[in-house]
Amino acid sequence: MIGNTMRMAALVAVATLGLSAAVHAQGKFVFANNSGYDNLDPHAVFDVGRAASRINFYDGLYRWVDNPPKQIPWLALSHTVSPDGLVWTFKLREGVKFHDGTEMTSEDVVYTMERMLAMNRGPSPLFSPLILPGTTKAVDKYTVQFHLKEPSAVFLSTVTEIQVVNAKLVKKNEKNGDWGQEWLSKNVASTGSYMLRRYDPAVGFVGARFKDHFAGWGPKYFEEIEFRAVLETNTRVLGLIKGDFHGTDGYLPQDQVERLRKEPGVQILEEESMRVFYFALHNNRPPLNNVHFRRALSYAFDYDGFINDVLKGAVSRNAGPVPNNLWGTPKDLKGYTFDLEKAKAELALVKEPLRPIVIGALAGFSESEQSAALLQNALRKIGVEVKIESSPWPVISSNMQKEDKMYDMVPLWKSTYYADPNNWVGELYGKRYWAIRNSSYYFNPEVDKRLEAALKTSDHEERKKLYEEATRMVVDDAAGIFVYNTKWYGPYSAKVGGIRFSPVGSGQEMRWAYFK
Amino acid sequence: MAVWRQVLWKLLRDRATFLGASIILSLILAAILAPVLSPFPEDVFEFHTANRLRPPDGVNYFGTDRMGSDILSRLLFGARITITIALIAVGTAVAVGVPIGLVAGYYGAWPGDLLMRVSDIFLAIPQVVLAIAIAQTLGPSIENVILALSATYWPFWARLVYAETRSVKNEIFIESAIALGASPARVMILHILPNISSAIIVRTSIGMGATILTAAALGFLGLGAPPPAPEWGRMIAESRDFLPEAWWYATAPGLAIFLVVMGFNLLGDGLRDILDPRIRRAGGRND
Repeated sequence: MIGNTMRMAALVAVATLGLSAAVHAQGKFVFANNSGYDNLDPHAVFDVGRAASRINFYDGLYRWVDNPPKQIPWLALSHTVSPDGLVWTFKLREGVKFHDGTEMTSEDVVYTMERMLAMNRGPSPLFSPLILPGTTKAVDKYTVQFHLKEPSAVFLSTVTEIQVVNAKLVKKNEKNGDWGQEWLSKNVASTGSYMLRRYDPAVGFVGARFKDHFAGWGPKYFEEIEFRAVLETNTRVLGLIKGDFHGTDGYLPQDQVERLRKEPGVQILEEESMRVFYFALHNNRPPLNNVHFRRALSYAFDYDGFINDVLKGAVSRNAGPVPNNLWGTPKDLKGYTFDLEKAKAELALVKEPLRPIVIGALAGFSESEQSAALLQNALRKIGVEVKIESSPWPVISSNMQKEDKMYDMVPLWKSTYYADPNNWVGELYGKRYWAIRNSSYYFNPEVDKRLEAALKTSDHEERKKLYEEATRMVVDDAAGIFVYNTKWYGPYSAKVGGIRFSPVGSGQEMRWAYFK
Repeated sequence: MAVWRQVLWKLLRDRATFLGASIILSLILAAILAPVLSPFPEDVFEFHTANRLRPPDGVNYFGTDRMGSDILSRLLFGARITITIALIAVGTAVAVGVPIGLVAGYYGAWPGDLLMRVSDIFLAIPQVVLAIAIAQTLGPSIENVILALSATYWPFWARLVYAETRSVKNEIFIESAIALGASPARVMILHILPNISSAIIVRTSIGMGATILTAAALGFLGLGAPPPAPEWGRMIAESRDFLPEAWWYATAPGLAIFLVVMGFNLLGDGLRDILDPRIRRAGGRND
């Protein structure tokens, strides 16, 4: 089946080539990504490194675009919600075609939700606490109804992640009730802007434009997109300079950004982003379960040296977990400063015996490694020994999800999955997200009360107040070491136009972009 | 000992060997005198972020790294790690490999075969791959690098000593010793070992170079001494993100590794020429 689709896609491409060779010759966009694409299943992966396959191959009910991110109708046109906030009814767009030509209906959305709940991987934890399997209803061909267990203020923000799969096609490829997981890891069954043409987990993927996409196409577009895994930073940068690649990740080390700025064939697009760099601390393991020890850690990080010297002032200090350019952070929030005297004073209040602290740094992410080295250096001066263990992201990520395996500290980013403070302070420090998204194993009943209340009310002012209070408490508890909020420096070939950046997806949605 | 004086004399007369020996001597001196020679000994731990990625100048002769530490100082202290790893790893490999080779070669038959087949199994796996696997499983630390290297290196000595022992064993003087009632241990240690020692010394010298190279590779892959230890391989790994602008960052540790490995190889080559009269390098002055 997919073989046929792909052969058709190839024929379409050949026909296009015949009609206008010049356009086609320019029509392939190549992106060098800093991590691999080991799985194409939109319900199995959910991180920034693998955002490109989800966002270019699949469509959600709504979609996040632009900066600051706003949600626009996508597969769904509108929604209504019952007065108790429990029943959400979405009206779907009519005549939306899957890549195999069949029409997308509410049955596909129901199947998608059931699939996510059954798999409980990737984006599923957004929905599994709210929706029970079997409760999602196809009211008619174009109407779908979600029944929530409790009101949720963030449910609407997350419907973008209900990325609809072609139910009939996936069911046909199910094996032993695996919801087609094995098949969808290597194939695409969707309505998305691009159709899968070639895929190799070791190399990356190539997508061909889906002409019949419901959103239509602008006057210019890429006929083909290729996302290639190129792990070495220097290879990505050199490839971009030489013109082999047309784009690469927007969070390169600042030294490389400066180098690229000097290249005439490269443009750097700058956007305010929402990606908070912090140290996740294991709040439930001695001595890190002692607030004085954690405060000592927070006083021992050289924020200025890191932001102004290592990152050359390219990012801005963010004293709390929620990005400053979003609501939910008190305007007068006082963060910690680099002050070893205060750190020593706090450390003196720790009565338990100290032990060597382990930092799990993200191998290949120089900021993560450098921040770990910087903290190690300062802590040595106040008598805390630190060991740094660098490991690849998939290893760190899986260790973080087990309380006994979680490192004492991990310096990393919290990116935008939906633009709501719950994405940061809620998921990072709420009890309901323990082990799933809260790998700090932090629990403060007062904070939790506010986070829970903020999830259940839809009154914006009330929510803002609750998140500000929770943020203040989390910072007072020094539950993490909060460092900065990123700016996005998107390096693209000077020929590329139309990049539409949104903090959700980090500007990797290619349907709007083209060669000038 | 007239023989050793002769060896030393030959060593000094051969330019390549002399160069190799001088490099190794400088390395050892650098390691011992690191605190005295380093312009900024505290930079092994200390960072100066405002000073980062400075090119070589009159203050930082080899420039500074991504944390603003003096690269020369870190290199000198790194020599200690390099020497420690090379000495202990090769020492262990010799200590394990030589007795195994001796026993297997002396007794032959099935115990000998068994020992040799075990070493064959080790040799069948590419050495770097095995070392990576061991170091990765045990976790990054100097001790584990040493363990990984010794575990993968001993078969080379076992093989060599086995072959040498087999050929020496049938010499008349060994047979005489056995006939005079010497115990096997006495024969092996007092009669065979001295006669094959030159081969072991040569192999050890060249093996040092290879060990340092593999250790650097492990460090490069993040399996060596954890930061902030100034391990040469890891310094190169760290520098990759800053190439080609900060060329000095990778060049300094790269040159250090190159020189040391070349030093051991030259010395090993020279020693072979001097100690092993059967193989003589063309143009070597061993007359």
